[in-house]
Amino acid sequence: MEKITTLIFIGATFAFAQTRTYDLLLQGGHVIDAKNNIDAVRDVAIKDGKIAAVAARIDPAQAFKVVNAAGLYVTPGLIDIHVHVYTGTGEPRSYAGDNSLYPDGYTFRVGVTTVADAGCAGWRNFEDFKQRVIDRAKTRVLAFINIVGNGMRGAKYENDLSDMQAKPTAEMAEKYKGLIVGVKTAHYAGPEWTPVEQAVEAGTIANIPVMVDFGENKKERPMSELVTRKLRPGDIYTHCYSGLRNEQDESGHVNPAMFEARKRGVISDVGHGGGSFAWRIAVPALKQGFPPDSISTDIHIGSMNSGMKDMDNLMSKFLVMGQSLKDVVTESTWNPAREIHHEELGNLSVGSIADVAVLRVARGDFGYTDMYGARLKGNQKIIAELTLKDGKVVYDLNGITRPDWTTLPKDYRQSGDAKWDAITPARGGRGQAAKQ
Amino acid sequence: MRFLTPLLALACSLKGQTYDTLLKGAHVIDPKNGIDRVMDVAISGGKIARVAAGINSSEAKQTVDVTGLYVTPGLIDIHVHIYMWQEPGGEAVQADAHSFRSGVTTMVDAGSSGSRTFPDFKRRIIDHSKTRVLAFLNIVGAGMGTGKEDDPSEMDAQAAAKTAKDNPDIIVGFKSAHYAGPGWESVGGAVKAGELTGLPVMVDFGRVNATRNINALFLDKLRPGDIYTHCFSGHREELLENGTVNPAMEAGRKRGIIFDIGHGAGSFYWYVAVPAYAAHFYPDSISSDLHINSMNAGMKDMTNIMSKLMSLGSSLQDVVRMSTFNAAKEIRRPLLGNLDVGSDADVAVLRLDRGNFGFVDSAGARKSGNQLLVCELTLRAGKVVWDLNGRASQDWKTFPYQKQSWKR
Repeated sequence: MEKITTLIFIGATFAFAQTRTYDLLLQGGHVIDAKNNIDAVRDVAIKDGKIAAVAARIDPAQAFKVVNAAGLYVTPGLIDIHVHVYTGTGEPRSYAGDNSLYPDGYTFRVGVTTVADAGCAGWRNFEDFKQRVIDRAKTRVLAFINIVGNGMRGAKYENDLSDMQAKPTAEMAEKYKGLIVGVKTAHYAGPEWTPVEQAVEAGTIANIPVMVDFGENKKERPMSELVTRKLRPGDIYTHCYSGLRNEQDESGHVNPAMFEARKRGVISDVGHGGGSFAWRIAVPALKQGFPPDSISTDIHIGSMNSGMKDMDNLMSKFLVMGQSLKDVVTESTWNPAREIHHEELGNLSVGSIADVAVLRVARGDFGYTDMYGARLKGNQKIIAELTLKDGKVVYDLNGITRPDWTTLPKDYRQSGDAKWDAITPARGGRGQAAKQ
Repeated sequence: MRFLTPLLALACSLKGQTYDTLLKGAHVIDPKNGIDRVMDVAISGGKIARVAAGINSSEAKQTVDVTGLYVTPGLIDIHVHIYMWQEPGGEAVQADAHSFRSGVTTMVDAGSSGSRTFPDFKRRIIDHSKTRVLAFLNIVGAGMGTGKEDDPSEMDAQAAAKTAKDNPDIIVGFKSAHYAGPGWESVGGAVKAGELTGLPVMVDFGRVNATRNINALFLDKLRPGDIYTHCFSGHREELLENGTVNPAMEAGRKRGIIFDIGHGAGSFYWYVAVPAYAAHFYPDSISSDLHINSMNAGMKDMTNIMSKLMSLGSSLQDVVRMSTFNAAKEIRRPLLGNLDVGSDADVAVLRLDRGNFGFVDSAGARKSGNQLLVCELTLRAGKVVWDLNGRASQDWKTFPYQKQSWKR
């Protein structure tokens, strides 16, 4: 009898499953999708890792798994285009080493699904970086390749003009087209334009943008000339609110060159990091009509424990400075996707990759600190509740996708399904593996 | 990009300012000293200088208002995996990327390295971490995840004991883990190393069989003070078929065996923990079994596990004790896990949120709870190393900004 019931049940489930069009339905969340100009409550359906439908109401009976997202914001998976993730080499005090972080340790838990490493590796060590970190991460890891062949290994390497060569850099970028999304120049302390010029040449050959950390402020190569003459439209000026290179003039105004650069199409990116974001620069800049094009963390072992913390904390800073949630999300999704020429990401168009963040905006008394340790108080904070990558749950803060344990069989070992869950079906855990 | 020295030095070293930092107005929970009420904590020279009610702010260079929060000893997580190999692969994470943000100031690596790999672990990771890193040494010379964990010839108690004796400031015991063989070589080797050094053993009991079971482990093989981690995994008959707690657990506890959580990605299930709590069988210590998978699954971090146990009925005082004083005793580090005057000022400042929260176990099953611990502030040797809401900072409008130039 029991067997027959089971068979009928399986049969019914099979027949039922046949009629279900979608793997996962996020129901009732407020969707923010800049590309498609959506800023309203919508249901989002996912099938085979792609966005399958976005509509005011999608029949839940058509979905294998339904998740209630009412009261939450559903956005494209966040894209952080300035991170440092070339770690594990054992090199101390190096961004091709101990200063970098493993990406999966801080991405999914804050709604980030795609990161771009900002120049930790150059053409000499990019393939080591690739097989060591990029190929093993669950996070989608892209990269700006450093114009310095040795990458970001320290001052000795990063000031060596002879190791800044456009040609081999461009060759490596073309070999890994799509994975290498740009060329980085950073931390240069000399008076020459060589690093920028070589990076732009490499970017021109490979048809990718250049991201500039402009290093030491030198009168021989002023920031104004960089952004209005040297860089091309689409190139990226990161650390735009650091105030370290005259982004703000003596009178407290945004340097007119910044506005001129924006008109030319040069991108201004946040790149907060441990030493590149000050309230005294950012607050006036936003008031004077100079918001960022893209929000990025410059996360590394130092910045994640100081004022920057993580992508959600950084987005919250812009929210409490007065930007709308829609703008902040746009600056963290669709804008960076376009900047790195990955327009299949950062949006919820039907057919796009189903990388999704589900965010909560908490109300309360919060404090946010800048690079100097100065605090700005605010009453909003963005918190990632749920993260999907390729249509599957990779992080779930409060278990909103999960069944209550009392509803499961007495010695349950899993509760998800590979159709929508990347956490539990794949996990046995060491102990369990040992038992089996 | 670059980490600029925060200009927090409030340049007011007036006479009479005895303390560097004063944490004022919080509810202090210091299980060792039996403190469980509102008190102020003063810090000087990286040490706890005074714990008392009503310490005057004028006595401190910097006062941090922590009213409404809980001040506890820095949390001690006795089961983590932070030995990132130089060769690609493995599940280890960086200590500093996960410790301070959840109030943890001391991490104990649970056997990622063995006697042959410990020097590399020490040189590359331990010596470069801001987190206080201690270690259980794997009885397997090659260490964990190396494919040699079932090889008895790797289990050299003499070599392990020697490495421990050479590194008494770091190695707190030995780990036996993941052993799938039928015998007692792994546990036996670890216990022998423990006997040679007077240090405890932590056991992940691997695969069990008819004779290699927890009853024999607790009653015959382990010594009082040895640690059974993954205690609510249910993988090794901690819970019997009939849903009751295996009497071996209580018998082991009576002998002095320590029961540790070791949550990880696959070692904590509600269907084990709930009946255990119903039978008044509580863990001695909370530990995370932190690695790259557990942190993105149900485990997340130490404060999340502490909150989970509160949803099962533990009090805040209980979970703080399990994560500080008890853990310190288990690894025999009496100077840690308390706020004794003169001890290193490793301090966690926690906020207890009320609301509707969900906690997920290793199968992805959810249990709701209405309390969540959040780490607001972490101090390591008296220095602020994590400050979620800038409580130790000054408002930017009055902040003494100084023109700063770019520095590496």
